[in-house]
Amino acid sequence: MAATTDALGAFPSPFSIATPDGCQGWEEMYPYYSLFTAQRPADEDRLWFWNSMHFPVPMPPFDVTSIDTPYQAAGAWQHRAFRTPPAMGIDYRIINGYVYISVNGVDDPELIAERARFFQERAGHYFGNWDALYADWRTRMEKLIAHISDLPVPKLPEYEDDDVIFGDRPPTYLGVLDAYRTALSANEQMWSNHFEFLLLGYGAYLTFSEFCKAHLPDIPDQHISQMIAGIDVLLFRPDAELRRLARIAVDTGVEGAFVEGRTPAEVDAELQSTGAGRRWLEELEAIKDPWFNMATGDGLYHYFRSWYDDPSIPYASIKGHIDAIHAGHDVERPTEQLEAERDRLAEEYASLLDDDARQPFQELLQLSRGVFPYVEEHKFYADYWFLTRFYNKIREFGALLAEHGWLEDGEDIFMLSRHEAHEALEELCLMWATGGPPLGPQHWPPIVTRRRELLKRLEEWTPPPALGAMPEAVNDPLAVMLWGITPSRLQEWAQGEGDGTTIIGAAASAGEVEGIARVLRDHAEIADVRDGDILVCTITSPAWAPIFPKIKATVTDIGGVMSHAAIVCREYGKPAVVGTGRATAQIRTGMRIRVNGSTGVVTILDGAP
Amino acid sequence: MSDGFAHTRTLAELRAEDDGVFGGKSASLGELIAGGVPVPPGFALATSAFTACIEAAGLREHVDAALASVDPDDVDAAQATARELTAAVSGAHVPDEVRDEIARRYADLAAATGLDEPPVAVRSSALGEDSADAAFAGQQETYLWVRGADGIADAVRDCWASLYSAPALTYRARLGDAARDPAMGVTVQLMVDAEVSGVAFTCNPVSGDPSMIAINASWGLGLGVVGGDVTPDEYLVSKVTKEVVRRTIAPKTIEYRPAPGGTGTEVADVEPERADAPALDDERLRHLAGVARGIERSAGCQQDIEWAIARTGGFPDNLYVLQARPVTATGKGARPEGPKGVSAMSLIMSTFGADAGQKR
Repeated sequence: MAATTDALGAFPSPFSIATPDGCQGWEEMYPYYSLFTAQRPADEDRLWFWNSMHFPVPMPPFDVTSIDTPYQAAGAWQHRAFRTPPAMGIDYRIINGYVYISVNGVDDPELIAERARFFQERAGHYFGNWDALYADWRTRMEKLIAHISDLPVPKLPEYEDDDVIFGDRPPTYLGVLDAYRTALSANEQMWSNHFEFLLLGYGAYLTFSEFCKAHLPDIPDQHISQMIAGIDVLLFRPDAELRRLARIAVDTGVEGAFVEGRTPAEVDAELQSTGAGRRWLEELEAIKDPWFNMATGDGLYHYFRSWYDDPSIPYASIKGHIDAIHAGHDVERPTEQLEAERDRLAEEYASLLDDDARQPFQELLQLSRGVFPYVEEHKFYADYWFLTRFYNKIREFGALLAEHGWLEDGEDIFMLSRHEAHEALEELCLMWATGGPPLGPQHWPPIVTRRRELLKRLEEWTPPPALGAMPEAVNDPLAVMLWGITPSRLQEWAQGEGDGTTIIGAAASAGEVEGIARVLRDHAEIADVRDGDILVCTITSPAWAPIFPKIKATVTDIGGVMSHAAIVCREYGKPAVVGTGRATAQIRTGMRIRVNGSTGVVTILDGAP
Repeated sequence: MSDGFAHTRTLAELRAEDDGVFGGKSASLGELIAGGVPVPPGFALATSAFTACIEAAGLREHVDAALASVDPDDVDAAQATARELTAAVSGAHVPDEVRDEIARRYADLAAATGLDEPPVAVRSSALGEDSADAAFAGQQETYLWVRGADGIADAVRDCWASLYSAPALTYRARLGDAARDPAMGVTVQLMVDAEVSGVAFTCNPVSGDPSMIAINASWGLGLGVVGGDVTPDEYLVSKVTKEVVRRTIAPKTIEYRPAPGGTGTEVADVEPERADAPALDDERLRHLAGVARGIERSAGCQQDIEWAIARTGGFPDNLYVLQARPVTATGKGARPEGPKGVSAMSLIMSTFGADAGQKR
């Protein structure tokens, strides 16, 4: 094995990472191929970075499907279908429950050239027919969402009904097993759809951004995204509807029902008691499909529920908008104004460029605006709408297993891998069929208990931002675009902790503020956020949009200036520093910090560790 | 010329095409005023005033002979000629017709300001050359805080005399016979008692970004910023949104200010808290950027602008533009290197490393 750990600017070897106390045996939760093992010694010579953007906390065993399935799809499109010249797919490993990823690059110039010829033709087809292909994509996604939502998970009856004998209904257990495999298969299909367009969409955006920076070296990132941003994109609709509902509540005098600290059910109870309140609830009901299919987090984990399942976030948001209206603010999103400003920026910048740069600028802008609805909207369809439905479907299988004693609680199914859950369902069907003594009820509950304890303990561990060898170059467009993994960022990570009071990241949204830090490592803590807090988290999700009116600024561990998170931060005009690598490790809730979103510097002012 | 003025005009009367007679500085100030830019009022002397002075003093033949004799490679001889001609011009009497015009123009300025003897700046206004050439050609003199018609006439004559400095003589002799016989205009402009002053570039001269206004600012009169003996605050303001995208506050430990007697300038220490304080706030930066952008738009090219904010009068009425000239003429301002004349699709392909197989 190459010695990399003592070289300047290197990261710890993945083989040198110790298991935290009391976490022995964590490996049983994950696939054999996801582990760092001496059988794959070359892993030490690659760069692995913690994908805290998508996987900020230890992975529950079932949720590994949100790693495997996306990376299958990403590589299948990027490497096998489009033949992206410099990069194949992304490998992942799990260590102490956390997900590290590494890009398989292509180094051979001849191979790159050969791949380039295919890529140009294939990607060219997509860029050339974008609107039609995207329209078809939306139709496919809507069908897939309906498919997973409507998929029946039958109960296992004591005895089969007559129609199995006299009609043509197959035995029930077949329906159970088939539904489970269908759910997994639908998820695979969804992730394939998700990655079909993603790389190309981001690529157009990145090209425009780099072009702007080459000709306008000092242009703020915010202006670049402002020129491209869709004004009426889907992703902003849920929050726009909440703003509208807040306005109606104030106009009809029912806003008094929204009292700080009340649960949605308590708010509803008061609204039900008046005619105006009932009319408001009807308005709310009318927008739920589809806008309540937002997720409360970034969607990849099973516990990011939809607004349907957990209305506390939209209700808190409505309350915030009501307060803003009372304070005399205009809470409606001024779309006409935003659109005029977007066009003004584009025209002014175009006029400032040299004549022979203006044409490519305008072409790139047009192309980026063309692909951007997909870039902004795919998350709503895929990560929020589909995934919340998918996990709810899995809950139905959890409930089935719990009903028969295989699990103590339906939610326990997420402590099993998707293969183990399949195994448990197989045994359930077998025992249901034979009437013999089941083992599952003795076998699974202790495993669930042990794993819950393991995950809780693993959460206390702080993963290093990167492992393995420092690469000479970062060749994967996705790593740059989505994770902000650039050579300079890696250098900053490698340089370590400094004096502990200054944390450097990427300047993602301009402005400087001081305030009290609120460190969130779990979406469930969103409810704790108070007015004027500075949000410190692994990555912000656009689904957290409702809390943005409350917070002063955002600091994240990871993320590039083009991640969805950064785009939404800028939309809300709050200072943001992203990709610090270790903000959640160094900052504690209650510390006073200063965030400079123009320079990318975060300073701990007092309460320093 | 009209109104009984043969050798002078108010700055407001001048336009760009007058630069052959009044020099570039006076003509460009006239253009700025016509464009609504706040420029301190003043007047300009035509080259004819200079010619009249040489003629009236009976120096014509003497000067012509001396100029014709300058050998650019004989430094000692050139220095002797320079000493002789400078002394001759400095000792010449400014003709009464010119003095009279200066006095009447100055009286108008005094009436407009309500002061008996308002302080003015007297500067040479070069003909035709860009700024680097003008310095060599001896057309870069500036006299600040000058008072009284006689004082102005003396300062004007000193500007003229600078045409005969040794470097100026040899520089022009090298250019050939046609350049040997020099002339210049002079700009006389009301002094701004500056609390803050500096320079605004309508691009970032370091990165070349054409969407930025780069502003340098320091306390007191602009001598420090222009002369380079004060490290000024540096600001970068977006032309497009007027946001301040970068600011570097420097310790501005000295400032130039009017000398106690009211004539001339002096250097003074700046108390520590003020030295470290930003010289401009966002409101002033935004406004100044807007003024600079306006000048650039009407000029049609990037500009290098000197400005000052007076101690008295409310903002923005106390903001003045003292000078504006094309950035190219100053020899500064890089253009950023970016891909040009290529299709969007080929740029996107290169993002993916698909540009003829070359690695990024």
